Amino acid sequence: MDLTGIQELTTSAGDAVRSVVVHASQAATSVCASMSGAEGYSSAHSASGAMVLAADGPHYPTVNEFLPDEILFQGTPFALNRIILIRLVATVVLLLVLGITAKRAKLVPGRWQGAVEWVLEFVRDNIVYQVMGELRGKRYVPMVTTVFLTILVFNLCGIIPGMNMAATATITMPLLFALWCFCQYWIAGIREKGLGAFLKEELFPKGVPGPIYVLLAPIQLLELLIIRPLSLTIRLFANMLSGHITVAVCFAATQWFFIEMHNLAFAPFGVLTFAAGFAMTCFEILVAALQAFIFAILTTAYINLSYPELED
Amino acid sequence: MSDVAVLAEEQKDGVALFLPEPYDIVWSLIVLLIIAFFFYRYFMPKFQAIFDERASRIEGGMAKAEQAQLEAEAAKKKYEDQLDNAKIEAAKIRDDARNEASRIVADARTKAEADAAQIAANAQQAIASQKQQAMVSLKGDVGALATALAGKILGAQLADNQVQSHMLDSMIEDIESESASKEK
Repeated sequence: MDLTGIQELTTSAGDAVRSVVVHASQAATSVCASMSGAEGYSSAHSASGAMVLAADGPHYPTVNEFLPDEILFQGTPFALNRIILIRLVATVVLLLVLGITAKRAKLVPGRWQGAVEWVLEFVRDNIVYQVMGELRGKRYVPMVTTVFLTILVFNLCGIIPGMNMAATATITMPLLFALWCFCQYWIAGIREKGLGAFLKEELFPKGVPGPIYVLLAPIQLLELLIIRPLSLTIRLFANMLSGHITVAVCFAATQWFFIEMHNLAFAPFGVLTFAAGFAMTCFEILVAALQAFIFAILTTAYINLSYPELED
Repeated sequence: MSDVAVLAEEQKDGVALFLPEPYDIVWSLIVLLIIAFFFYRYFMPKFQAIFDERASRIEGGMAKAEQAQLEAEAAKKKYEDQLDNAKIEAAKIRDDARNEASRIVADARTKAEADAAQIAANAQQAIASQKQQAMVSLKGDVGALATALAGKILGAQLADNQVQSHMLDSMIEDIESESASKEK
């Protein structure tokens, strides 16, 4: 599976933007490389000579960045790598900041507390209550708030200098959130309808002619068991992955144009790729918030689907 | 071409991206459990309590304000009632006083008039009785005097009582007419 393959997995419009930026930067650098007489550019690359590569082309990001080496406790179930370290740091920061906020919380909020409360109220009112209504939603407010805030903070690690990698950028973290959602909507369905009725309603939706069920029931089952959690997982994971790659490609190209080319004539290209990198960084902030929002709202929606339809 | 270039260096299999490492699962789970515990046990209840308390404070404040408003209105009404009562009472007292005064005046007048009438009547009566008394005594005195006088003059001739009295009467009439003409 290569980079474009991963990119094809993502479906949002943001990925189209990223794809254009990535390909433009890569095309620019490869054209410039051949112009500047980097002989055997592509052949050298396909020969996979790592040492030659470093001298010749920009240090484009690879899949390896998302599969970092274990740096502590190697080989144990508690092995740590770069992304896990980022995740631990993000967790500590999140818990400290929110813990102190909660500890100092007053009845009349200050600016920071007001901001935190705004986020909490946004999740409660605009995500949970909006989708489920207050009566059903109350139970799920803590869960959705946890999901939203954690994913948001983990995503934002991707643009924090020094981290430069979303803590959600390995498949495990999004997968766990998705499994949590999976458990919740199964539990909700079984609790509200009973297992049999829940499955019957999900697999054999009303108003469909009999023979169609032969096709529909397996699809519905697949949706319930695999597609929902997996789509949640991959949407978030691939967004973080491609976001990182886009920004990294832009900055790698910038670095190459400015420094490694040793030729000022190429500086304007560097300015361009830097501008693109800057724009994409801003874009990743948006995507970080957007993906957290989408994950939270889909979680709520999936749980809500397990409830009987509102009679009103 | 560029994709090939990107992936050319000592490349791990991309499929590995989608295969969770056991240690990754362990750490993700630990992190998630800690965060979820924090949110469920501390953060959300804490803010829920604050939201609830704030709401109740606001509601309480509004209720209090309403209460104060009601109390103020009640006090105002009470004050106005008292004012009205006081006005009515004052008017009543004034009327009473006026009535009392006129009654006293009327009483005094009546009493004075009655007294005056009484006094006048008494005086009249006294005068009348004195006059009567005087008349009677005068009549008696004059009669006796005249009788004595006439007796002395006429001697025994007037022993007869009837003649005597007749003579007396005519004499008195004469005297009276005499005095009346004198007064005129």
